[in-house]
Amino acid sequence: MVSGSGAGALASAAANLNAVRETMDVNLEISRILNTGLDMETLSICVRLCEQGINPEALSSSIKELRKVTEALKAPENMTSYLETS
Amino acid sequence: MCSRVAERPEGRPLPEGASARESSFDTRVGLRVFSATACHLLSRDLEAPSPEGTQGSRPSSALCRADVAQQFQFAVRVIGSNFAPTVERDEFLVAEKIKKELIRQRREADAALFSELHRKLHSQGVLKNKWSILYLLLNLSEDPRRQANKVSNYATLFAQALPRDAHSTPYYYARPQTLPLNYQDRGTQAVQSSGSLGSSGISSISMCALGGPAPPPQPLLPGQSHQTLGVGDCLRQQLGSRLAWTLTANQPSSQTPPSKGTPNAVSRSMTRSRREGETGGAVEITEAALVRDILYVFQGIDGKNIKMSNTENCYKVEGKANLSKSLRDTAVRLAELGWLHNKIRKYTDQRSLDRSFGLVGQSFCAALHQELKEYYRLLSVLHSQLQLEDDQGVNLGLESSLTLRRLLVWTYDPKIRLKTLAALVDHCQGRKGGELASAVHAYTRTGDPYMRSLVQHILSLVSHPVLSFLYRWIYDGELEDTYHEFFVASDPTVKTDRLWHDKYTLRKSMIPSFMTMDQSRKVLLIGKSINFLHQVCHDQTPTTKMIAVTKSAEPPQDAADLFTDLENAFQGKIDAAYFETSKYLLDVLNKKYSLLDHMQAMRRYLLLGQGDFIRHLMDLLKPELVRPATTLYQHNLTGILETAVRATNAQFDSPEILRRLDVRLLEVSPGDTGWDVFSLDYHVDGPIATVFTRECMSHYLRVFNFLWRAKRMEYILTDIRKGHMCNAKLLRNMPELSGVLHQCHILASEMVHFIHQMQYYITFEVLECSWDELWNRVQQAQDLDHIIAAHEAFLDTITSRCLLDSGSRVLLNQLRAVFDQIIELQNAQDAIYRAALEELQRRLQFEEKKKQHEIEGQWGVTAAEEEEENRRIREFQESIPKMCSQLQILTHFYQGIVQQFLVLLTTSSDESLRFLSFRLDFNEHYKAREPRLRVSLGTRGRRSAHM
Repeated sequence: MVSGSGAGALASAAANLNAVRETMDVNLEISRILNTGLDMETLSICVRLCEQGINPEALSSSIKELRKVTEALKAPENMTSYLETS
Repeated sequence: MCSRVAERPEGRPLPEGASARESSFDTRVGLRVFSATACHLLSRDLEAPSPEGTQGSRPSSALCRADVAQQFQFAVRVIGSNFAPTVERDEFLVAEKIKKELIRQRREADAALFSELHRKLHSQGVLKNKWSILYLLLNLSEDPRRQANKVSNYATLFAQALPRDAHSTPYYYARPQTLPLNYQDRGTQAVQSSGSLGSSGISSISMCALGGPAPPPQPLLPGQSHQTLGVGDCLRQQLGSRLAWTLTANQPSSQTPPSKGTPNAVSRSMTRSRREGETGGAVEITEAALVRDILYVFQGIDGKNIKMSNTENCYKVEGKANLSKSLRDTAVRLAELGWLHNKIRKYTDQRSLDRSFGLVGQSFCAALHQELKEYYRLLSVLHSQLQLEDDQGVNLGLESSLTLRRLLVWTYDPKIRLKTLAALVDHCQGRKGGELASAVHAYTRTGDPYMRSLVQHILSLVSHPVLSFLYRWIYDGELEDTYHEFFVASDPTVKTDRLWHDKYTLRKSMIPSFMTMDQSRKVLLIGKSINFLHQVCHDQTPTTKMIAVTKSAEPPQDAADLFTDLENAFQGKIDAAYFETSKYLLDVLNKKYSLLDHMQAMRRYLLLGQGDFIRHLMDLLKPELVRPATTLYQHNLTGILETAVRATNAQFDSPEILRRLDVRLLEVSPGDTGWDVFSLDYHVDGPIATVFTRECMSHYLRVFNFLWRAKRMEYILTDIRKGHMCNAKLLRNMPELSGVLHQCHILASEMVHFIHQMQYYITFEVLECSWDELWNRVQQAQDLDHIIAAHEAFLDTITSRCLLDSGSRVLLNQLRAVFDQIIELQNAQDAIYRAALEELQRRLQFEEKKKQHEIEGQWGVTAAEEEEENRRIREFQESIPKMCSQLQILTHFYQGIVQQFLVLLTTSSDESLRFLSFRLDFNEHYKAREPRLRVSLGTRGRRSAHM
């Protein structure tokens, strides 16, 4: 009984893992279609956050904000690097 | 940094119990995970360019470390703020939105792919918050075609100052100015905060706005049915436009971005879209934002950009807002609706607390509330329309979107309504009761049928209390007017004996303008008559019996439609009630209280109409009345009065009348005889005292006094005449006296003529004529007021014709002087007769003695006796010229007075008095003596009239 249950648990875990992977693939594909610019890692984190019940609006807005900030930080860097290379 | 994230197994089973539905997400766990995301994002993005410029990036990235930390902190706050998602948690709705978005970007293939993927995702039960993930992805999605200008947009965004005060509350951070949360969130927040303001109408709207998928707007108002049409159109056109998109997608021309090539409507809808709100400048207000603001302003709540300016008392778009002039103008025009709403609301709010405002005012407020309710309904429809659009996300139905222009058209009718109401409110300020009804009525005289029907509706509500007062009053005689709104006022201090005259009055200001003065007078009379019957006549006949005909014809409740034909039905009803009630009252007064009998009794006794009685009474009273007034006793006189009644035709009068007949002694002044103070009296009480008021009775007494005096003159002259007749034979053998007696006769005849003419004038020209007039008017009278008025007119006439009014005081004085002369003559004649008769007696005695002496055979007279006799005769004869001169003086005085009287009469303005002068001087006897009388009558009269 115990071993059976353990084997069953194992099998179910494997099936679960499979399902999760598939799900993530689908999510990634959607993300690609929608051109979100999220890579696999970020996406998985976001998915997990969403499963935790985070407010997607807040998350999306903060991600955008962070992106903008990094963009802005990058812009002067690019400028300087461009100047240096030239 | 990154390794920590990488270590985590991706497919790790998710912790149970973190319910997806709950917005309160486990902050601790969430933050830890999120920090990983943030670090990942930041570090990757920052280090990505480093291979290109390794040297340059080092210092800058170190420099930015602090910024990064701050950004991180800020992001954590945003996440951590328990800021409930405001979007619909429906996976399919989100999926639909994604599809629409893809279609919008002309990527139909991707859309098909997405729906396939979504189907797959849906079939797997691993994820719980699928909608959340999808929503996140949707929010993060980028239109590939707009990549080009992305950087510049970011730059402008970043140019805005970020909030530096990191220690503020998380809630504040939840919506900082620069945070491009989509507009919907803010809108809903505003709705929530506005909902707490507590106005019933507004909260109901906010409920509507918050509630799930917006219910389809119902056709609430007939006038607003076009809106429902609009919604229906919207759905239809969404399908249509979707088709259109697919068709145009194949054409090369459609490759141009829609914001450039498409007509204005499209670009407008683009500005409305959420993404534009994110990427555009924060200060620039989109039309959608304005529409939202306007919807709040409609309810009198300040919007974000449109605020009430207290100094200028109008709504203004905030000055610094970046807005095109046409939008600003339209918004301001729309905001007028909010201003009007505020004005009406303020009025009703103020008045609803005011208890003394009364029923009419309350119904006015209720009518205003009703109108406002309709207005709120419209607003809720507009809100639900807006909500519907938000739920559909990207707006495809371009035609159906809520724009300022559309609002302008839709609110056109409500605006006219509100304008009318606001004008009414202005006009009705400080008015109440019937005055308020008049004010509303004044507004029904407008040429605009739309406005007229509105105002008429309000008027029917406002006038309802007035009408119910009215019907209570004219059908039951009850006045339940706690707030003094009805136009009939009652004075509770007035006793029942003055009920008819003083208790009820008209409040002129409270007469509604749809009632004429005549109508309101009738209304007053009807209720007064009913009250009079109940309280004074103690007639408990139910009023329904009095006016059975009218009441059964129409129940008094249908007040509203009564005003539609004010002219006919209303007038008819009042008239009927008036007629019936007055008739009933007069019947009661005549039959039960024999008003007319009393009136006739007044004439017979107080105005000396009953000749035999008056004559007999005078006969009986004469010995009493010659005594000084102080020695008279009322009971003696009352006894005499009763004797006189029993002896004459007066005995056949009803005991009810005779019981009221009494003697009254006026105030005694020194030297008065009984004649001066004696007066008959007639007691009046109960209902008839309403006609014979105290003032009336005092008039009667004055007239009686005058008539009594004139009657007495006649009586005296009769006595004088009697003396003439009796003594003529006796004094025939005193020839020396004949001259005096002749003089006496002449003067007496003159006086008799004068008094006869006066009596004729008084009896026929004054009393009978006036009485006839009074009698006619009383017979024709429709209500008690007519009788009272006729009676008063009668009294006024006889008072002034009998020279008792203040204008003819001089005449009356002359007349009094004439009367005095008559009394003087009586005295003089009495003295003459006494002296003459005494003399006669002596002479007879002397003759008798003489005869007796002769019979005794003695000398008839001795010398001494004869001497004595002759001396006495001489003395008597000597006294005759004295008598003559006395009479002459009397005559002179008398004639002077009469001439004066005639002069006054001829200059009198009253025609009948001028004719009296003709009769008094029919043979121009006085005219010959008095030069002033010689001037022709006509010119004199005219001249005096001019003077």
